[in-house]
Amino acid sequence: MQPFNLRPDQLAEEMLDYSRKLGKGCQNLMNAEKIDTGVTPKVEVYAEDKLRLFRYEAPADVVQNKVPTLIVYALVNRPYMTDLQENRSTVANLLAAGQDVYLIDWGYPDEADRSLTMDDYINGYMDRCVDVVRKRHKLDKINILGICQGGSFSLCYTSLHPDKVENLVTMVTPVDFKTPDNMLSAWAQDIDVDMMIDTIGNVPGELLNWTFLSLKPFSLTGQKYLSMVDVLEDEDKLKNFLRMEKWIFDSPDQAGETFRQFIKDFYQNNGFLNGGVQIGGRAIDLKNITCPVLNIYAEQDHLVPPDASRALRDLTGTRDYTELSFPGGHIGIYVSGKAQKQVPPAIGKWLDERS
Amino acid sequence: MSDSTFWNEDWMKTQQKYWENWTDMSRKAMGLEKPAKSPLESAMEHWWQGVAPGTTDFNRDFMNKMMDQSSSFFRMAESYYQNAGESQNWLDAANRTINDLQQMFSGNLENIFSGTENVGDDALHKMMAFWEMPFDNWQRMVSSLSLVPGDLLRNMPHSDGMERFLSAPGLGYMREEEGQYKQLMQRVVTYQRSLTEYMRFFSNLGLLSANRLREKVQELVEEGKQIDSARGLYDLWVSSSEEVYGEQVMTPEYAKIHGRLVNALMAVKQKLSHLVDESLGGLNMPTRRELRTLQDRLQESRREYKALKAEMELLKEQMMELRKPVPEKGKSSQAPAAAKKPAKKKVSKKKAASKGGKG
Repeated sequence: MQPFNLRPDQLAEEMLDYSRKLGKGCQNLMNAEKIDTGVTPKVEVYAEDKLRLFRYEAPADVVQNKVPTLIVYALVNRPYMTDLQENRSTVANLLAAGQDVYLIDWGYPDEADRSLTMDDYINGYMDRCVDVVRKRHKLDKINILGICQGGSFSLCYTSLHPDKVENLVTMVTPVDFKTPDNMLSAWAQDIDVDMMIDTIGNVPGELLNWTFLSLKPFSLTGQKYLSMVDVLEDEDKLKNFLRMEKWIFDSPDQAGETFRQFIKDFYQNNGFLNGGVQIGGRAIDLKNITCPVLNIYAEQDHLVPPDASRALRDLTGTRDYTELSFPGGHIGIYVSGKAQKQVPPAIGKWLDERS
Repeated sequence: MSDSTFWNEDWMKTQQKYWENWTDMSRKAMGLEKPAKSPLESAMEHWWQGVAPGTTDFNRDFMNKMMDQSSSFFRMAESYYQNAGESQNWLDAANRTINDLQQMFSGNLENIFSGTENVGDDALHKMMAFWEMPFDNWQRMVSSLSLVPGDLLRNMPHSDGMERFLSAPGLGYMREEEGQYKQLMQRVVTYQRSLTEYMRFFSNLGLLSANRLREKVQELVEEGKQIDSARGLYDLWVSSSEEVYGEQVMTPEYAKIHGRLVNALMAVKQKLSHLVDESLGGLNMPTRRELRTLQDRLQESRREYKALKAEMELLKEQMMELRKPVPEKGKSSQAPAAAKKPAKKKVSKKKAASKGGKG
């Protein structure tokens, strides 16, 4: 049998069909100017420097868990990924699952924030946000949900402040930074981070974009746009695509000193496994984490491979450790329809059983 | 964009033209004559040039990416189409198409890194837009870190003679300053060498991807499956390239090449910053170095201030707690949980001092 069944008339028809879609799609693209993100109503409850702490408005007919959950997003990209649009919102689904949701928006650091260290972020900003939420609810401990790098920060935080965390949820969080399939880590090993930070100060978002796109350059910077033609005709699907596109390239610069420590301590020295990480003069030891831990990872995650997350299971001091795997990728775990149905309700159920 | 006839009529006319060109090309592919130019080149690009100025920046960037990909897609289909017309044997047609891809890739990159690429190669360059993605992404990133568009350093002249000249010691009153500029040039040469090494790495990738595509086609034959669309062929080429790329960039060899490239770029920028600071200092203006020292000191003061503020808040809470009337025996306190255990907020004087002492 021949592997190709491509007749000239078929090919020409396919090309013409493609062109038709492209033309129509272009028209839709011109009309789709405004892209909304962050759709769930929220109130700012605390602000410090460029950081904002938001509380989301819960549906009136849902009984809320008395222990609120603070979402700690990564410094990379923007946290509206968790609340991208009405039918793709982890936040909205957590609210529907009865959780009282707060979220830290780190803002866009500029050159004046270059000296911010991991100590400033974790023992400073994050700790003050936790205190604000604790105080508002008159509680000693709250739930923390850390996402990606925010998950690593949450592990550090819980190790340093175990008395303030009721339950810890980590989503697509890197723990073992040197698994054989971790492409980012492989590339980071030979970078002279000290020279980089001493030279450029903050790390530009463009540099991070380049790095992430380089993980799968042919799919992420090529094939994706060709596939796009299939959804250009549908205005809603087009807007969904553009929202994602906006999020992908909406990359804040990284505060230089924090980036320096994060790359050296974790990507180069694998600090959660090998030790040696000091934040605010105190050593990070995951054995200090004794609260219940729910560790969620994505099975097709190309940024944080599953093994990088699963490494957590043997490292904490908790007796109540649960893993939840999701059949999707690093982004799909927040935005896919399947994830919306599975992940936030599972988090809600797990938290309700423990607080 | 308000002219709706453009969309309804001009676009379809363009497509009609394209269709005619396809038909024309099919005649030529049967041996009558060779097409002078890709029909896509003249139809789609002409149309896009008319539309692009009326779009917003975001939409234009987005559509540019789509047009680039569309071009690669169409060219691949055309390549197969031509080869199929010239051969009666599917294996021969497939091999010819894969060879075309392979030759286009390696040939173009060879021109780029040997410095022989010229204006005449522009069409070839566009043709290979897809396969240069890793390198193209790097250039965009370098451009974003620089005042001038594109990777200016890439095309600066360099040779062995230049390196020998740069390594010669300076003489006379200006020897120190001359030395600084020579160091900068040496770093530029190192960057160019790293960039060439990086590009050469990707030229091998093209050859390996073509071989992988061949293997995948063979697998299809063995499994009794067929590709029945140009898109299917394109997707197979993408997955072949991505697979090979994923294997190659995970090797220690690539990690070293990648590290050398990034470090070499940073070394150039570091020297440039140093020279700019020297000039600013000479003009009695604040330098970046001074600014960063001030930033560090300011952040240190802010840390101390915030730690002290937290400590004061804690003391206030404790004082309020002490002022509360002592509950009578047998009656429990109704104080909230957080207020009951103020000691949980561990901000000791020792910690505040250690925080403040950090650089």
